[in-house]
Amino acid sequence: MQIGHYISGIAHTGLIGWVLLGGVFDSDPPPMEVTEVSMISAADFDALLQTQQAPDASTDVALPTPPQDIETAPKLDSVPDVKPELDQPDQAVPLVPDVAPDVAALAPTPPEPDVLSEDAPVLPTPQTDAGVVIPEAPVRPQTRPVERVAPEPVAVPDPDTTISDALQEATKPDDAGPAREEVVEETAPEAATTEIATEPKQDEVASAAPTSSLRPRMRPAAAPTPQTDVATDAAVAAALADVAATQTAPTPAAPTGPPLTRGEKDGLRVSVQQCWVVDVGSRSADVTVVVGLELDQNGKVQGNIELLSSEGGDDAAVNTAFQAARRAVLRCQKNGYDLPVEKYDHWREIEITFNPEKMRHK
Amino acid sequence: MTKILTILTIAIMAVGHLVPSAQAQGGPLRIEITEGVIEPLPYAVPDFVAETPGSNQISKDISRVIAEDLNGTGLFREIPAKAHISSVTNFGSPVQYADWKAINAQALITGGVSVSGDQLDVKFRVYDVFAGTELGNGLRFKGTKDGWRRMAHKVADAVYSRITGETGYFDSRVVYVSEAGPKNDRKKRLAVMDYDGANSQFLTDSSAIVLAPRFSPSGDRVLYTSYETGFPQVYVLDIGSVQRKVLSNDSGTMSFAPRFSPDGKSVVMSVTEGGNTDLFKIDIASGRRQRLTSTPSIETAPSYSPDGSKIVFESDRSGAQQLYVMNAGGGEATRISFGKGRYGTPVWSPRGDLIAFTKQNKGRFHIGVMRNDGSEERLLTASFLDEGPTWAPNGRVIMFTRETRGADGASSLYSVDVSGRNLKPVKINGGGSDPSWSPLQ
Repeated sequence: MQIGHYISGIAHTGLIGWVLLGGVFDSDPPPMEVTEVSMISAADFDALLQTQQAPDASTDVALPTPPQDIETAPKLDSVPDVKPELDQPDQAVPLVPDVAPDVAALAPTPPEPDVLSEDAPVLPTPQTDAGVVIPEAPVRPQTRPVERVAPEPVAVPDPDTTISDALQEATKPDDAGPAREEVVEETAPEAATTEIATEPKQDEVASAAPTSSLRPRMRPAAAPTPQTDVATDAAVAAALADVAATQTAPTPAAPTGPPLTRGEKDGLRVSVQQCWVVDVGSRSADVTVVVGLELDQNGKVQGNIELLSSEGGDDAAVNTAFQAARRAVLRCQKNGYDLPVEKYDHWREIEITFNPEKMRHK
Repeated sequence: MTKILTILTIAIMAVGHLVPSAQAQGGPLRIEITEGVIEPLPYAVPDFVAETPGSNQISKDISRVIAEDLNGTGLFREIPAKAHISSVTNFGSPVQYADWKAINAQALITGGVSVSGDQLDVKFRVYDVFAGTELGNGLRFKGTKDGWRRMAHKVADAVYSRITGETGYFDSRVVYVSEAGPKNDRKKRLAVMDYDGANSQFLTDSSAIVLAPRFSPSGDRVLYTSYETGFPQVYVLDIGSVQRKVLSNDSGTMSFAPRFSPDGKSVVMSVTEGGNTDLFKIDIASGRRQRLTSTPSIETAPSYSPDGSKIVFESDRSGAQQLYVMNAGGGEATRISFGKGRYGTPVWSPRGDLIAFTKQNKGRFHIGVMRNDGSEERLLTASFLDEGPTWAPNGRVIMFTRETRGADGASSLYSVDVSGRNLKPVKINGGGSDPSWSPLQ
């Protein structure tokens, strides 16, 4: 406490002493900047001013000597133009209809359909696919006489029991005999098992088959003929045939049989894309076009390739993109795209989208 | 809530599975192609048929110029004559498409040339070989024999247009600064040439340093900067008469980096006054001057958009050279370049979709392009010194100056496709810099 007083007293005493003796409030004059001035003559002064003045540029700049007067110029090898305007040719005089190249006459006659007709009749017998599911079903009813089949075909659902876990439970109560009686003794007509060796498969197929949805398609063709009695039905049959023809005619596009596999589609895609030349610096590189075309059974383009739709770009860019797409399809078809003939219905009409988006970044 | 969403999702998926595909319903097979090839289009151009006795050589020359034009784009590849199966001996005879298909020619150009006195008549047709059709109609050009080269360029332009769908650029010229002599005593003169380096002519002598020539939109005048008065001043030169006049005559000011407005009636350029450089618009007829920028930084290298509504320029207002866009009448500018390094000499594409520029980064110079808003920047070149891009009239090719390193380094002109491909030197006599492409004539 006293120490603080001492310090405060000493500080105040010092301050008062410095104010009284130090001359704090004396006002000294501000420092002055001293610059040395040298004298120059009037002539020197004028000369200095002249260097600072802007050059006396004027609008009447001396005209550049024309090229022919520039003798010192390094001479060029090229022959000088006379005047730009002298060279102007008359623009675009459309030619009088010259003899148009007889494209139609030159066009090779399409050699296709004869050869194809040989393969086509072979195709409708897809019996090799019987293992798949369907064709066996319609045949079996004929070979299966009703008498041979025991009245208890219901016992067939054995596979279900084998799959389920219930089998484990069934093994425990071996004591119970009813299970043996039901399955083994009654449902084992020996004749049935010996004659139809494929029954196990049939069971599996039947259980795995989604439905018998395709059977109705097979039957109508054979059905109408046998049941008619008299000649009076001939007219009806003819009428039915006409109706059938008119019904089937507009819907031939509905393909039957298995569609193209992914590999087959990829093969077609690769075939076309290796001929698709993309000009990445062009405006057409901003355009996606969809073209439609039809192939014959040789895989060659039939008729015209049409622009179905486009996205992006102006008309000129769209047209350029379409031409590049059309050129790609035509150029790479060669002797025809390699596609399975038996699936012709699936690839007779094709729509190809040419999307250059990825190419723009290359 | 989650249960409802789950049920909805399952229901939507189930419906999706129930809806059969288009093909299953019997629609066309649909495929999508996203990968193509980038390669020049093969074509054939047999020598044009000489239809008059004295036109043999000129018909061959015309065919060669057409081929050089097309090959030079990098988009076409000529199939040499020795590979041709059939020959074209009559311009009107039908085309044997099978023969041209066999050599994989996708396009065929046939033509005929006749000479009558000093008059030259050139006609041609273009065929799409694989489609078996003609691309467009036949076309005929008439002119003088002296203009045979230009007529060949016009044929090439028409062919290019019919195949690519875009206008050509072969019938155009380039004004540039011709350079001769060592680096420490280099003589610079204005010169004008065909786009391919042919028919070069000097426009000025080498008594004063000249810089940055710029073609007018009509191709009949050239703006350039000259140091003949000691200060850089902008001049307008009429190419036909080689007459000129100074555009900016304010004493004590420096003017440079001029460029025509799209209508050719005014010029935008940089003017330095009192140590500060801003952009001004000068009316050529009246000489009236309008200030466009007013900042303490340096604004230069202005370039109009094709529609004349905007101006892109470089400025160091942010501390380093960057690109900015403002309205043509001036006002607030928007910065569009944000990459590393410094950007300069922007030039708006004639298409209006891109801006070419010079970029300096890490000691390397680049020519690049970006969208008008600065997006999608792409560098097309890289070297010791690349600068001063100029667009071909169709906005497809960029020409620029490339200078080599060292005391004996020389400047030359190069061109590159906007895709970054087909980089190649331009054939000129001696050195050259500061090219400016004319419009299509």
